[in-house]
Amino acid sequence: MTQPHIFFEEVNERQGVFHRRAVLLGGFAGVGLAALGARLAYLQLLETQRYEKLATSNQFNFKLAPAPRGLIVDRNGAVLAANRPNFRLMVARDKDMDPESTLKILAGFVPMDDVRQRRLLRDIRQAPKRAPVSVMEDMSWEQFSAINVRAPELRGVTADMGEVRVYPHGGAFAHVIGYVAKVNKEDVEAAGPNTDPIMLHPGFRIGKQGVEKAFDAELRGRAGANKVEVDANGREVRHDEGGDIPAIPGAEIQLTLDVDIQNRALEVFGEESGGAVMMDCRTGDILCMVSAPSFDANRFVRGLTGAEYRALAGYERKPLLDKCLTGLYPPGSTFKTMTALAVLAAGIDPEARVSCGGGMQFGGRFFHCHKKGGHGSQNLHEAIKNSCDTYFYSMSLRVGPDRIAQAARAFGLGQLFDIGIPGQKKGTVPDPAWKKRYFSKTPAQQPWWPGENLSYAIGQGYLQVNCLQLAVMTARLANARKALNPRLVKSVGGKELPPGSAVPDLPFSQEHLAYVRAGMAAVTEAGGTAFRASQLGLGDILMAGKTGTAQVRNYSKGGPRGKGGPWSLRDHGLFVAFAPVDAPRYALAVIVQHGMGGSTAAAPRAREIMRTALLKDPDLRARIEKPLPMPELAPDAGASDMPDAPVVVTPGRLTPTAGPATARKPGGSA
Amino acid sequence: MTVSALTRPGERDRLIVKLSEIDWVFTLTLCLIAAAGALMLFSIAGSSWEPWAAQHAIRFAICLLMMIALAMIDVRVWFAIAYPLYVAGLLLLVAVEAVGDTRLGAQRWLSIGGFSFQPSEVMKLGIVLALARLYHGVSAERARLSWWLLIPAVMVALPVLLVAHQPDLGTAMLILMTGVAVIVLAGLSWKIIAAGAAAFLAIVPPFVLFVMHDYQRERVLNFLQPERDPSGTGYHSLQSMIALGSGGLLGKGYGLGSQSQLNFLPEKQTDFIFATLAEEFGFVGCISVLILYAAAIFMALRAAYLSHSHFGRLAAAGVTATFTVYVLINGAMVMGLAPVVGIPMPMLSYGGTVMLTVMIGFGLVQSVRVHRYSEVTSGKGTFV
Repeated sequence: MTQPHIFFEEVNERQGVFHRRAVLLGGFAGVGLAALGARLAYLQLLETQRYEKLATSNQFNFKLAPAPRGLIVDRNGAVLAANRPNFRLMVARDKDMDPESTLKILAGFVPMDDVRQRRLLRDIRQAPKRAPVSVMEDMSWEQFSAINVRAPELRGVTADMGEVRVYPHGGAFAHVIGYVAKVNKEDVEAAGPNTDPIMLHPGFRIGKQGVEKAFDAELRGRAGANKVEVDANGREVRHDEGGDIPAIPGAEIQLTLDVDIQNRALEVFGEESGGAVMMDCRTGDILCMVSAPSFDANRFVRGLTGAEYRALAGYERKPLLDKCLTGLYPPGSTFKTMTALAVLAAGIDPEARVSCGGGMQFGGRFFHCHKKGGHGSQNLHEAIKNSCDTYFYSMSLRVGPDRIAQAARAFGLGQLFDIGIPGQKKGTVPDPAWKKRYFSKTPAQQPWWPGENLSYAIGQGYLQVNCLQLAVMTARLANARKALNPRLVKSVGGKELPPGSAVPDLPFSQEHLAYVRAGMAAVTEAGGTAFRASQLGLGDILMAGKTGTAQVRNYSKGGPRGKGGPWSLRDHGLFVAFAPVDAPRYALAVIVQHGMGGSTAAAPRAREIMRTALLKDPDLRARIEKPLPMPELAPDAGASDMPDAPVVVTPGRLTPTAGPATARKPGGSA
Repeated sequence: MTVSALTRPGERDRLIVKLSEIDWVFTLTLCLIAAAGALMLFSIAGSSWEPWAAQHAIRFAICLLMMIALAMIDVRVWFAIAYPLYVAGLLLLVAVEAVGDTRLGAQRWLSIGGFSFQPSEVMKLGIVLALARLYHGVSAERARLSWWLLIPAVMVALPVLLVAHQPDLGTAMLILMTGVAVIVLAGLSWKIIAAGAAAFLAIVPPFVLFVMHDYQRERVLNFLQPERDPSGTGYHSLQSMIALGSGGLLGKGYGLGSQSQLNFLPEKQTDFIFATLAEEFGFVGCISVLILYAAAIFMALRAAYLSHSHFGRLAAAGVTATFTVYVLINGAMVMGLAPVVGIPMPMLSYGGTVMLTVMIGFGLVQSVRVHRYSEVTSGKGTFV
C-alpha cells in the first residue's frame, strides 16, 4: 500500500472529525450509563417491593412437619401404640448429582444390596426433582451421625430424625389396633382432590387396619410447617423457628381393652387358631379381643418383604384374618342357651322331660346325641348341664324356628355392633323368612324343613356367628337385664364415648334368664360338660359357661369329630362363660378353630383368660384373698367332687395343679 | 495539561517524567472498581478471601503493574507491532479451528506450553491497533466514503467470522463493535452508518432463526419472552432482576444478599457480580460504581482526545469503546435489558482473561497519553 500524501489541512480535518466523533462516543457512553442508571432506579426504587417478595419466596420454604401421631392406650393407660424416634436417610434427585453413584457411596454407610439399590434408583428417578425418597429407615445413631457428617458434600442426601409407630405388645393387639404403613397410590387416590399434603411427605404412614385406620384422622392430628431458609438447590440452610407453624398433635385414643388380659389371651392360644372376646357384663366394655395366631404389626410399619407377606398370607391358620370379627363359625352347643330361652319363652314347662337314648329318629334320618348311650331322662336344666342334644331336638319341634331366631337376635347374634372399627361380618341367624329370601332364585330350596329345626336347636345348620356376637350373647345373659352393646373405644382425645349399658332391657323375663344361667352354672359343676376344665381355683368365685363343639362337616366319613383327619376339617371348639356366678362381672367367648371339643380346647383357655381378669379386679381380688371359712367347707356333694382343694391360689400362678380325675367326662357336647 | 514536561523534547523520554504523566486519577478509578469487585467477591464467598477475592486482588495488582509498564512503551512501538499482532491473532484463530481445545461445547481455547488462552482475546486488542495503524495513513476523505473502506471492512470481518465460528458469539460481537467503533471514530460517512444500522436490523431476525446455535437462539427468545422458561435460561435474567430489585435504595447490607448468598443468582461471581453488588448495596452502591465507570470512560477518552497522533487517538478511543461496550452490555444483561451473553463487567467480575485484556488496553491508553506528543511515523512519510 502506498502512503498517500496528506496535507496539513487534511490532518487537521482528520483530527476535527475524530474529536467530534470522540465527543459523540463519550455522549453515547454517557447516555448508555444514564439508561442503566434509570433502569436501576426503576428496579430498585419503584419495583423494589415486588422483587423483595420474590426474593423472600426464593429464600424461604415452608417444610411440612408431621404432627406426632396420637397414642393408643388401654383402659388403664398402658401404651399400646406409641412413637419412637426414627433416623431416616433420604435422597432427592438434584442437578449436578448422580443418584447411582450417590447410592454407591451411601451403601458404604448403611447396608444396601444391589437389588435394593436398583429399586431405589428407579424410585428416585421417578420421583419429582428435589422430592426426597426414603432410602433407609431406622438407622443406628452411629450410621446417622456418620452420614450427617458427610451429607453436606453429598448433593441431594439428607438424614433426619422422624417418628415411627411402635407397637410394644407386638402381635397381641394387631387385629384390633391394626397398623400404619406407607401411603400408597391407592390411598392418595382414595383421598380424592383434597389430599392432605402431608400424605405425600416421604415416609409418612397412615392407618391401614383396625383402630389405626378407623381413627386415622383423629390420630394424625394436623401437620405443622417449619420455616426454613433454602438455597437455590433446595438445600436447607437455616431453620427460622420463629416462623414455624406449630403442628397439632394427634388425639390420644383410649380403648376398653386390658393389656394383661389381652396378652394372656394370646398366650393361651399357643399354636392354636381362634378368637377370644371378653366383655364387662355391666358396662359392655370389651376387655380383650384376641385373634390367634397373630402377626407383629411392627413389621408392617417397616414394610413387609414379599417373602414375609407370602408366608403370612399362605399360612393355613390365617394370621391376617381377624377371627373375632371376620371369622364366622357355627356356635354349636353354646347356642343351646338361646334354644333354652326360646323353650321357656314358648311357655313350655322346664321340668318337662325328654328321654335321651343316644339320639332321635326324625324324617327318615337318625339325629345322634353326642353321648352314644344317651343321657336318659332329661329336663331343661339337666339338658343344658349335659348338653343333651336329644332334648333340644325334641323341643325344637315344639318351639319352632321363629322363636329360636327371635331369642338369638335379641342376644345379638347375627347383628353388627358399632365398636368403631371395620371388619365385622354379620353372620346368619336363619328362620323361614330368611331362607325364602336367601334362596329366592331356587324355589325348590325355599321351604323350611322341620328337620332343620333339629340342627338349628343345637347351633348347626345355616346358623353362623362371630366371636364378638357370642361374647355379647354371654354378656347379655350374665347381665340379665340389659341388652348390652359392646364398646371398644373408651375415649377419643379425652372425650368419653357412650358406654354400652345405656340400652333397653332384654325382652325376656328375669325368671327365664335366671333359669338358663343356673343351667350354665351347672355346666361347670361336677357332672357338667366343662367341670374339669373350668375350675378357676379362686376360692368361692366360680365360673359358669356352656361348651360347644361345632361340626365343620358331616361325620359319616372318617373318625369322630374329624379326629385324625386334616386340621382344616376338624371340629371347632367353643366355650362361652361368665364369672363370678353369683355376681357376674366378666363374660367371655372363646373359639378354637378346629380345636375339637369345647370342653377340651376352648374351656381351659377360657378359664385362664377369666382368671387373669378376675385376679386383676380389685373387688374380686379382695374377695379371693379373704380367708376361707374352714369349718363350713365341703358340706354338700359338689364339694366332695372337687377334692382336696387341688389349687393353691396365688396370683402369679395361673394353672391349677391338676383337674379332678374322678370328674373326667368323655368329650364335650355335640 | 497546561504546562507539561512532555512539551520539552529532552525531558519527555525520562522515565520519571513518563511516570508522572500517567493519569493517576484514572488509575485510582480503576483501583476503586477492582476493589469494589474484591469486596463483593469476599462477600459472596461468605466473608472469605478464598476462593475469589484474594486472587482477584492479586491479579489486579499484577495487571496494574503491567499497565504501568505498558504505559512506558513508546506509542511508536505500539504502532510497529500493530500489524504483526493482528496477523498473529488471525493465525491463532485459524489454529484454534484446527487444534483448539473444546470446552463447554465451544472451541475457544489454545494450549501452548501448559498455558491455555483464548486467541479471540488477543484479537480484541489486535483489531484496534491494526485499524488505528491503517487509518493513521489515510485521509479524512477516504475514511469518510470510498471503496478503500473495503479494506478495514475485511480486516474486521475476518476475525469476527472466525470467532463466531468457534462459536463465541459474544466475543465476535465485541470485536465487530470495536472495529465498527474505530471505523466510525475515524470519520465514516453518516450515510454508511445509517445504511449499516438498517442492514443490521434487517439481518438480525433471520440470523437468530437460521444461523444461531440452539442455545444461542434460546437465550435470545427467552430475553424477548422471559416467561417462556422461568427455570431454564430465563432463570438467569429473572433471578438477577430479583437480586437487583430486592436491594432497594440502600441494599440488604454487606454479606446479607439472599439471592447471591443462597446461590439463586447464577454466575454470581463473574457475569452477574453487578447484581450481587446491587442486592447488598442497593441503588446507592450501583450508581456509585456506574459513576466510577463513567469517570474511567471519560478519562480514557480524554487521553485519546489529547493525543497528537492519529494512531494514538484511534487506538485509545477504540480501547475505550471496547470497555464501554463491555460495561453497557453487562449492565443491560444484568438489568434484564439484553439477552444473557457471556460478557463480564470489566474489573468488577472475577476472571483473569478479561481483566488482562482490559488492563493491557488501558496500558495502551496510558501510553497514548504519556506519549501524546510523540511523532508517529510510517515507513514512508512522516505524519504528526
